[in-house]
Amino acid sequence: MRPADLTPVARDVMKLPASAGLIFFSTLGAFLLSVLPWSGQWMLARPDFVLIVLLFWTMNEPRSIGQGMAFALGLLMDVSDSMLLGQHALAYVAAVFGAQVLRVRILSFPLPEQTLHLLGLTVAASLVTLALNLLLGADFPGFAYLVSPVVTALLWAPVNWLLYSGAVRRRRDSGAV
Amino acid sequence: MIREPPPFFHRGPSPLARLTFFTLAAIALMIADHRFQALDRVRLSLTVLVHPLQQAAAMPSQALGRLADYFTLQDRLVRENAELKTKVLEQSSAAQEVRLLRAEQEKLRTLAAARSRYEGGILGEVLYTARNPFTRKIVVDRGVMEGVVAGMPVIDGTGVVGQVTSVGTFASEVTLVTEKDQSVPVMLLRNGLRAVAVGSGKDGSIDVPFMPVSADVVAGDVFVTSGIDQTYPSGLVVAQVTSVEKNAARVFARIAARPAAGVENHRFVMLLPLPAGAPARPEARAEEKKPARGSGKARRDPQKPNAPR
Repeated sequence: MRPADLTPVARDVMKLPASAGLIFFSTLGAFLLSVLPWSGQWMLARPDFVLIVLLFWTMNEPRSIGQGMAFALGLLMDVSDSMLLGQHALAYVAAVFGAQVLRVRILSFPLPEQTLHLLGLTVAASLVTLALNLLLGADFPGFAYLVSPVVTALLWAPVNWLLYSGAVRRRRDSGAV
Repeated sequence: MIREPPPFFHRGPSPLARLTFFTLAAIALMIADHRFQALDRVRLSLTVLVHPLQQAAAMPSQALGRLADYFTLQDRLVRENAELKTKVLEQSSAAQEVRLLRAEQEKLRTLAAARSRYEGGILGEVLYTARNPFTRKIVVDRGVMEGVVAGMPVIDGTGVVGQVTSVGTFASEVTLVTEKDQSVPVMLLRNGLRAVAVGSGKDGSIDVPFMPVSADVVAGDVFVTSGIDQTYPSGLVVAQVTSVEKNAARVFARIAARPAAGVENHRFVMLLPLPAGAPARPEARAEEKKPARGSGKARRDPQKPNAPR
């Protein structure tokens, strides 16, 4: 039986928790990707790697990753992007809250529909940041800014493929599936 | 709800309660950071955590750049070398004149007991452009350890790049002159007309607001720092006027300029020291920080465009 054939709840029951190492190193990798020296228009459309990995772990390891982690990672992103402390934190916490509430629903869909749901979450996170900055007197950075959440959502499938298969392999090795 | 766990599995507060808590915490942080600049210390210590990761991430592209340098074509090197030699010849006569002038100036300075503002600069390498679509900043690999202080003017080979706005342990942030509301007191090189150059918030453009329609400014004019703010030494090139729009219906001419320094694309910059004898200005520091956060419109006061900060 493939894990995809199971209902989300059954999948949850059957699976071992992902290793802390995998969670840590995937988050670290996402952070490294996001601090690459991006510039110009590329920077505007830069996908939020940290957010998508965070959402992945919120959906798949809801017991260890949640809003506290989102807040902490958001603060780190604020420092590294030299933004006002708390902006990313608020955006991430809002997106993770959405993921927690909609988790069962989202996981019951196949990947394309999941991506569409994720788009809603990433757009919400971007709008939070945008609204905060406009409130603080910044100019609208251009419509390329709205490309970023789309690219971020499109990363859902690759992230699943990268991280979920790792988790499944681990489970198979330990004989749980 | 099928997902609700039985009450004996303790799982902490509900998501909504957590959301409320973290939202309030984030808003409190933002207010503390924006209003009171109270979190500089926190930011500084977090930078220590983030900095090695950033350096690690920047390493591949830097290595690629060095590799490209290594494999530069021979004839390009030869051509560049010849160009540089002619440039040196051209400049050597000027340099000798400068030496003479400087000797004279030194004599005058000893009388006036002042120091050259260009001495003691810190050379820094640009690590990356701050990844923040709302502001224009770069991060330079010099920090508290090398003696960088907030407020230092930053220049490159061709002109003013910006000003140091926040200092980390090993790196510091430079707000570019193109940042919205980042202002530099300037003077027109041709006729000494004073003005304030204000960043427009767009890449590669600077506004010069509050110049009367009758002001003698034409496209191609060069603005240099006037030095009246005691932050920037006088005579550094800031911008070149690209267009002047004089409409009699308006009180002020609309002057657009292009930054002289390669504001978006330089690799090495010089951080100039602040004047030694200047009194400490805590309020001014707070003012300086504001535009970096995207506000501080108070400085666009039409009554006194030349007000020193």
